[in-house]
Amino acid sequence: MSDEPESDGGVVTHEESPTGPFGLPTVVAGVVPIVMLAVLVGVFLVTTPLAGLQSDGEPLPDVSIDYTTVPEEGTLVVHVTNNGAAPVTIDQLQIDDAYWNYEMSSPGDDRTLQPRESGTIRVPYHWSPGFDHHVTVMTAGGATFGETIVATQQTPGFDFDVVLTLAVVGLFVGVIPVALGMLWFPFLESMSDRWLHAVLAFSAGILAFLAVDAGFEAFELGRAVPSAYMGELLVVLGIVGAMLLLQAAMDWQSGGGEPSGLSLAYAAALGIGLHNLAEGLAIGSAFALGRASLGAFLIVGFMIHNVTEGPVVVAPLARSERPALWHFGAIGLLAGAPAILGGWIGNLFFSPLLGALFLAIGVGALLQVVFDIGGMIRKRGELLSTTNSLGFLVGLVVMYATDFFITL
Amino acid sequence: MTSMGYGAAQSLTAQLEQDLASTIDVAPSVSRRAVLGGLSILGGAALTGVGGAQSGDGGGGGHDHPDHGNFGAVGEYDSDEFDPHEFLTEFNTGDNGDGGDADPNEGVYQENGRTVREFTLTAVDTEIEVLPGVTFPVWTYNGQVPGPTLRVEEGDLVRVNFVNGAEEHAHTIHPHLKNLDPDMDGTPTNGPGVLNPGESFTYEWQAEPMGTHLYHCHTMPLKAHVHRGLYGALIVDPKPERVRENPRDYVNYHGPMTDELVSELVDRARSRNMISHPDYAPEGFTGVNEMVMVMNGFDTNFDGDNEVYAVNTRGFCYGVGSTDGRGNWAAGETKRPIQVDKNELQRVHLVNMIEFDAINSFHTHSQFFDYYDAGTTLLPTRSNIDTVMQCQAQRGVFEMDYSDHDPGLYMFHAHQSEFAELGWMSFFEVV
Repeated sequence: MSDEPESDGGVVTHEESPTGPFGLPTVVAGVVPIVMLAVLVGVFLVTTPLAGLQSDGEPLPDVSIDYTTVPEEGTLVVHVTNNGAAPVTIDQLQIDDAYWNYEMSSPGDDRTLQPRESGTIRVPYHWSPGFDHHVTVMTAGGATFGETIVATQQTPGFDFDVVLTLAVVGLFVGVIPVALGMLWFPFLESMSDRWLHAVLAFSAGILAFLAVDAGFEAFELGRAVPSAYMGELLVVLGIVGAMLLLQAAMDWQSGGGEPSGLSLAYAAALGIGLHNLAEGLAIGSAFALGRASLGAFLIVGFMIHNVTEGPVVVAPLARSERPALWHFGAIGLLAGAPAILGGWIGNLFFSPLLGALFLAIGVGALLQVVFDIGGMIRKRGELLSTTNSLGFLVGLVVMYATDFFITL
Repeated sequence: MTSMGYGAAQSLTAQLEQDLASTIDVAPSVSRRAVLGGLSILGGAALTGVGGAQSGDGGGGGHDHPDHGNFGAVGEYDSDEFDPHEFLTEFNTGDNGDGGDADPNEGVYQENGRTVREFTLTAVDTEIEVLPGVTFPVWTYNGQVPGPTLRVEEGDLVRVNFVNGAEEHAHTIHPHLKNLDPDMDGTPTNGPGVLNPGESFTYEWQAEPMGTHLYHCHTMPLKAHVHRGLYGALIVDPKPERVRENPRDYVNYHGPMTDELVSELVDRARSRNMISHPDYAPEGFTGVNEMVMVMNGFDTNFDGDNEVYAVNTRGFCYGVGSTDGRGNWAAGETKRPIQVDKNELQRVHLVNMIEFDAINSFHTHSQFFDYYDAGTTLLPTRSNIDTVMQCQAQRGVFEMDYSDHDPGLYMFHAHQSEFAELGWMSFFEVV
């Protein structure tokens, strides 16, 4: 075989030349398909070869009610987006099956929204606290789009009190529990490999549960995103993108070898931090939408839920050299503090789009860390041992159990 | 059964209250609310705003709020294709034609010893503005919804040249009259059957009995053809001579038929017939303002439920242009109250053509009226009522006297609150 000519069926492969086909520079070969595509698109647009397939039907109006806020007594505010291909005019509005006067502000300063434009409708309406109110907007053709404001409550404005409150809530549900959980570190260091691996598997279980939990939420929010943005696909993109980006970052950081304990701890903290950011977003936006139903026992639920995240971020450090103390502080803040930030963002700029995106990024980060922890255990021992499997399962069960406390 | 002591009654009542409270407690809306506001435990005073909305105006104190919000549709109607204010008093008797395209009047003439009133009705597809800015694709007679009100005299021959000028759909005209010839019934199974686009047919109907009636398309699917606008009122006025000859045919009354009563009935018949015969004006019945009101609705998003309710098609068209809810109001260009002279008798021909709702109703504020079911009697079938209920195709005549009312706005509307708030809400302005 070895002395046969270097050929694969007549195609000459070894004749290197600085030019491409027809003696043109290779760079032209790279550009030609793009130019031809441009010509093709141009011809298609000019000749409209599909005209015969077009029906007389105009594009259907498609308006989404993104969210509603209740800024004060006697006022409802409805945020709408035109998802359709044609401009749409909000001609009439009903509240609870009754026509009602309203004022609308839009980029065009009228009641008409161009495709993908958003507008705000203010309705002077004497809403009843705790009651559901159904808002319906009607377009010129009589199409209707509706949304129910559940258990209507006044939306607190974004003032210092709210900033402070959200910071306190974030501290309680994010920073403090993670810090408490990190206090287990000396205990983790004293463990045998077998038990430490079980603890790492337990951490992976917790992270996996959080990923699934946040994933469902991301898809649910994604459905509320104006359809032009394809919310669910955006969530998929966010998950996969975050996972790959984090993977690339870890590889780059460790130079292609096994990630160090410290970098894995930071990665886990980032994943959990993004998760807590999303949690904060949920809290903040619940405030913004006047739907905060956070009783004290919910806070306690969050605390118990999140305390398990503490050992997760420090467990990878148990077998490496103990890093400087400031690393612990940084890891803890990275994992916990985003809950505060999320609360503020969620309160100020809530949108389903933002919420779904943050959740998706969090899911991607969590999944990446789960795989890394798995890799770490496999390198040092057996991945699917009895204790490891049970540890993973216990992680899932603990999360499921503490999830009962949290019903936003 | 032994009587119950106060103590026992009290504890039973308490028990029932407790049961009721616990049943309500499991309702999701209540348990959901029960956890609201608990966060103040953390933020101290920071969060009082959340629960604040619950306090205060439970007893209606909030009505002092200056921005209570204006109920009703925003804006004015743009299109002048159909004017519900003109429609209100537009009666076509066959001989008052102006020759316009949409004018149904073709003439009144004698044939074989009887009066013939000839009309032309053309089915036309068009769009109609049913709320300011909101149009609905309608199928119509002569481009309007409701179709032209036809007004004839008892015993006449009503000749209707029907032209189907619609683009796609077959149509008919089915009259609610006592017809002796099945071919003239306007149904798919009888006579010419349904008429396809471009086809035409001349219907000939007996104008019997007297009363306020209707006509509509009877092509399947009926719901679509009726809801889309193919209907109108058809009024048969009594002939005073016939009333004098056979008074019992015109009353729901079994007592002695005295000369006085007959004379009264003849006068009432003349009064009912003053549109065709202004010279009939009998003593005591002069100064009558006749109006036709067709209750209808439009399912604008095709979900089998009406989004717009109206009398004479346009929601709130007999409302006011704007109001602050405190008696300060302004008439709009296209949304304005019906002005009535307090010294005239108000006679309304009311027809219910609502689709998708089993019943509709008419209610007058601060006013009671006499009602003549189907308009087929000269004595009221119900006296002194302020609300009347009608199912689809039910109709009647009612008469109101505002002579002792102060000038001002008097509301009238469907007494289904939902219909009223979705457009079927109007005012008389008594002057």
